[in-house]
Amino acid sequence: MSTAISVAALGELIAGWIGQGKLVAAPVQVGDRLLYQALSSAAAAVFDARRRPANSIKEFLFPRHEQIFRYRLEGKEIALSDVVPEEREQIVIAAKPCDAAALPILDRVFNWDCEDSFYTARRARTTVVTLACAAHDDACFCTSVGSGPADESGSDAMLFDRGDGQFEVKAITEKGRALFGVSSAEADDGTLKRAPQTKFDPARVARYLEANFESPLWKDLTLACLGCGACAYTCPTCHCFDIVDEGNAAGGARVKNWDSCQFPFFTLHASGHNPRSAQPQRQRQRLFHKFSIYPAKFGSTLCTGCGNCERNCPVGLGVLKVLQAIDGEARRLDEKEPVQA
Amino acid sequence: MTERLRQTARRLLEEGNVQVVIGYGASGPVFITRPEDADKLEWNDRCFANLTVYLTRKEVKALGKAALVVKGCDERALVVLEKESQIDRAALYVIGMACDGLGAAKCVECQTHVPRFADEVIGTQAEPPAPRCAPEPNGLDRLMAKSPAERWAFWTAEFARCVKCYACRQVCPLCYCERCIADKNRPVAIDTSATPKGNFAWHITRAFHLAARCIGCGECTRACPAGIPLGLLNQALAQATEENFGYRPGMDREAEPVFGAWSPADKEDFIG
Amino acid sequence: MSEAIAMSFEPKIIAYVCNWCTYLGADLAGTNRLEYPPNVRILRLPCTGRIDFNLIVKAFEMGADAVLVSGCHPGDCHYTAGNYHARRRWMLFRSLLETLGIETERVHFTWISAAEGKKFQQVIGELTEKTRAMGPYAAYQEMCVGQASACPEAAK
Repeated sequence: MSTAISVAALGELIAGWIGQGKLVAAPVQVGDRLLYQALSSAAAAVFDARRRPANSIKEFLFPRHEQIFRYRLEGKEIALSDVVPEEREQIVIAAKPCDAAALPILDRVFNWDCEDSFYTARRARTTVVTLACAAHDDACFCTSVGSGPADESGSDAMLFDRGDGQFEVKAITEKGRALFGVSSAEADDGTLKRAPQTKFDPARVARYLEANFESPLWKDLTLACLGCGACAYTCPTCHCFDIVDEGNAAGGARVKNWDSCQFPFFTLHASGHNPRSAQPQRQRQRLFHKFSIYPAKFGSTLCTGCGNCERNCPVGLGVLKVLQAIDGEARRLDEKEPVQA
Repeated sequence: MTERLRQTARRLLEEGNVQVVIGYGASGPVFITRPEDADKLEWNDRCFANLTVYLTRKEVKALGKAALVVKGCDERALVVLEKESQIDRAALYVIGMACDGLGAAKCVECQTHVPRFADEVIGTQAEPPAPRCAPEPNGLDRLMAKSPAERWAFWTAEFARCVKCYACRQVCPLCYCERCIADKNRPVAIDTSATPKGNFAWHITRAFHLAARCIGCGECTRACPAGIPLGLLNQALAQATEENFGYRPGMDREAEPVFGAWSPADKEDFIG
Repeated sequence: MSEAIAMSFEPKIIAYVCNWCTYLGADLAGTNRLEYPPNVRILRLPCTGRIDFNLIVKAFEMGADAVLVSGCHPGDCHYTAGNYHARRRWMLFRSLLETLGIETERVHFTWISAAEGKKFQQVIGELTEKTRAMGPYAAYQEMCVGQASACPEAAK
């Protein structure tokens, strides 16, 4: 039995969800960019299995800015008040598999030593419907980090573009089933033929990293980095944040904002000392966090190979080039002294 | 032109005149320190980046005396940087590339196809090339034809997408402050939050700190991951600067910068 | 805006003034018992040359409906050239405000000397009535609603 759904029917579903007061997010064409945005009308949603939005869906679970509590100064007293979280249900539709695959990765961090209830509350009321990829570009490397164009990790349901204006639907979780009212059906996996070739071996990279914290490669490969946050902020898995108090003489709020390890003052201590005062050190840290530290702690790579870092980098850097260089160097060293299995 | 560029780089490094050649590679900026690596240098219609931004970065300065590949548009930044005592022009070898446009919006009205102050120019440009693309849809004229309320609505919508990644700042050769006002936190001068208020405050500040300094390379617009047409603000200020003071940043090495100088004859029709 | 609301709206005006001229001019208005509307909140700075354009932005963020920037006449600056620098800055800053769609009718620049108590009274009076007629600067204040560091009313 076909579980195909047309673009028009998808549009009607979306309009219905919006009408019910849910937040529906999807890729939207904004000028010359495709960006995930909350929809005000179903017509704005773009279902294109061949393109990748320039941002990521983490915004809807881990927003770029949120207040965590408020305070008012009343004479000598400080009155604190909790921020009442929104109860709104959220649906992200036509997300890329590399975006959805980031969610289980983020789940681990935000439930690790303490629960980030802001994140978990949003996560619980979000349903993610992915659109399997029909194409990739040179920046994609999902298959190198254990993901792929039809990776179901983090998806509640997956759409497959049949190419004739119809989409096959595969419900993966209860949430997905509740949304589409279909039972899980095997959908076309022809997309796998359009997966990118693997470009490096993350295990080999991790081994090299562990042994080569000090290496001239860091400077050679990363001099071009200008230290902005374009990679971190468009990355589906990057999750560093800064907590600041914003206020005035009457009161204010403690807020949580995205932060990037590439900013020059990311590690500036109150003493004035900055252990990562040069860009190569900061770039090294990013690679280590994603390909050595997080894997050692949580068992998977802090990267889904989406390629946003490279596409958004003003100087075309991103992690892939550095990884390939490291992998190449690691392979060269392995050949000289094979690793004991 | 690519071959001549590589030869020049090789020669400069072999002769020991420079320790690094900063240029464009296959996928981004490259820093060539050995003559045998000169073949990594490229010159094509993807050479968008303004490499002058690297001259004020300490990791690059530490490499030693540099040779820099510039297009005519980028070169204007060198003039301003020199005026502001941020570079020692005599200690820099400038390789100017004559450019017939990269197909970017800024190329349409370019008046500096051939670098004017380079130590060496590669290529020649007899006449300005035909425009290769139409002017951008969100041009300044279009913006100023709207009412103030419409302009406010336009910028509110655009800045709603700003995530405060500061790519605009990091890519700008003239944003070289070691500690930007946005990083000041005792007390906070500009909200770091990516809220409407915080985003307006940041972009107003950045645009105005570049007033009468911005050379219009357009890197800020290209770098913005959210596709915000930041360059419109700089363009508006550049127009006002030229109209009121006859000054175009980076065009004339002898001209006095607008801020830092004043004249008793400055207009004050807006002052009561 | 309805008649009733218009009558009851009291504009908040922030005036950044230089210590040596306009502030003394305001003082003179006071000692001469020249009444001017209490809507203006005067902030004293050493010189108009010290006035950062961000102060104008912050005034709006904090709920001001109009901003006045005032200092010594050209040639009379206590620090010789501070007001000349300010003049250039203001000219270009107005262009930026216009480009952004910020209401430039709410930003005023004047030269008021220490002897011009009468002028101070006139300027404040006119500015208050003009701003009352324009109404509150809703656009800027709405943008700041709910944000912690905005003015207390907007921050609710």
